[in-house]
Amino acid sequence: MLTAVVIQSGDSLRVKLVSGEGEEGHSEDGHSFDPAECAFEPEEANPNECGPGPSPIIPEMKELVWGAGAFIVFALLMRFFLFPRLKKGMDARYNSIREGHENADAARSSARSEVAQYEAAVASAKAEAAKVVDAARATLESERQTKIAEANARINAKREAALRDAEAAKAAVRGQIESAVSDVVTSAVEAATGKRPDSAAVSRAVSDAMSAGVR
Amino acid sequence: MIALEFPPINEILRWKDLFPGFNKIALIAVAAALIGTIIFLLAGSKDHKTAPKGVRNFAESIVEFIENGIVMQTMGRDGLGWTPFLMSLFLFIYLCNVPGIIPFLQMPATARMALPMFLSLLVWVVFIGTGFKHQGLGYLKSSLFPPGVPKALYILVTPIEFISTFLVRPFSLTVRLFANMLAGHILLVTFALLSEALFQAKGNPGLIPVGVLPLFMLIFLTGFEVLVAFLQAYIFTILTAVYIGGAAHPEH
Repeated sequence: MLTAVVIQSGDSLRVKLVSGEGEEGHSEDGHSFDPAECAFEPEEANPNECGPGPSPIIPEMKELVWGAGAFIVFALLMRFFLFPRLKKGMDARYNSIREGHENADAARSSARSEVAQYEAAVASAKAEAAKVVDAARATLESERQTKIAEANARINAKREAALRDAEAAKAAVRGQIESAVSDVVTSAVEAATGKRPDSAAVSRAVSDAMSAGVR
Repeated sequence: MIALEFPPINEILRWKDLFPGFNKIALIAVAAALIGTIIFLLAGSKDHKTAPKGVRNFAESIVEFIENGIVMQTMGRDGLGWTPFLMSLFLFIYLCNVPGIIPFLQMPATARMALPMFLSLLVWVVFIGTGFKHQGLGYLKSSLFPPGVPKALYILVTPIEFISTFLVRPFSLTVRLFANMLAGHILLVTFALLSEALFQAKGNPGLIPVGVLPLFMLIFLTGFEVLVAFLQAYIFTILTAVYIGGAAHPEH
């Protein structure tokens, strides 16, 4: 085995390659060489030194055989046994999950349709109720108008009767007042003139005067 | 003065046989196949009706990663039949890469030429076989004479397409995986040796604290190798999918 000896002197480094001290190979120091200690066979050109061995790039047959065998067995097991078994389980689970999703979607759409039906029924009931309320309101309004008309008619009849009574009372009072005024005028004229005036003429004059005064 | 012993390249790459014809690389390859098998065996034995957790969750994540991240992106729905092969490839390469940072193993099996070369040749055979299966001899025509190219340019394009499709692809797949993992392994060895040498510098005690720097670099590179292990497995697998998809559907 080569040893790289690095010698530092001041700022400079010096590297020297020498054979290992403990080895039995042929070194610069003149140690003896024992081929049995070599990892690789001595080269033919220099039988006193351990060989560097074959190129590290060259594949070794035992590694090739074991590696190829291991991979082929693994790949075949994977292709025909391991992967199908795992994949079957995965597919079964994915299918069950997919079915679950589909069922959930179906349940959701069913629930949505039921909600839509319910909302349509509510809207229909509301419309029906509105119709009933409108009809009731219209009936009520017509009854109200009828009642109001009846009440107005009654009020008008009563008012006319009252007016009639008032006119009658007024006419009666007027007659009495005319008679009293006529008596007073007759007495006054009689006292002033000594003659009794024509009662018809007095009554007509009083009536005319009162009528003119009423206006 | 410090003595930095960097072993010969063969000493950090070649491993003595654990028993005749079976070394550490073979052990890692067999262990990778076994671990992958055990993971999927355990995952397959769990109840598939409940939400996956633990090893089943891990295995299903790999399946979905391969299906959604690789197959659907490169081959589309028609390529889902390739999932087991691509998953085997990805998992096997990843499990062969990761031992590069596992204590006591500390060697990615893909840092040796044998495994990347075998896997690349296998992929090469598979995508060419797929091309002939789907297109018959038309595969050669669609590969060597791409449509839309002026006929005069075929003199240049056809040899280039032949070399790139039939010769360079397996070579580039092999070298990309092998070289990346080998470089990572050598970097880790280098910084580990440098740290050790600096910590044990007897001649100059002032160098001992400096050993912290390569140690930090070693820790950083170890984390980086985790990423590289995944990335190289992913790149190998996605390129395989691209090659197979291209051979099955030349219009892509």
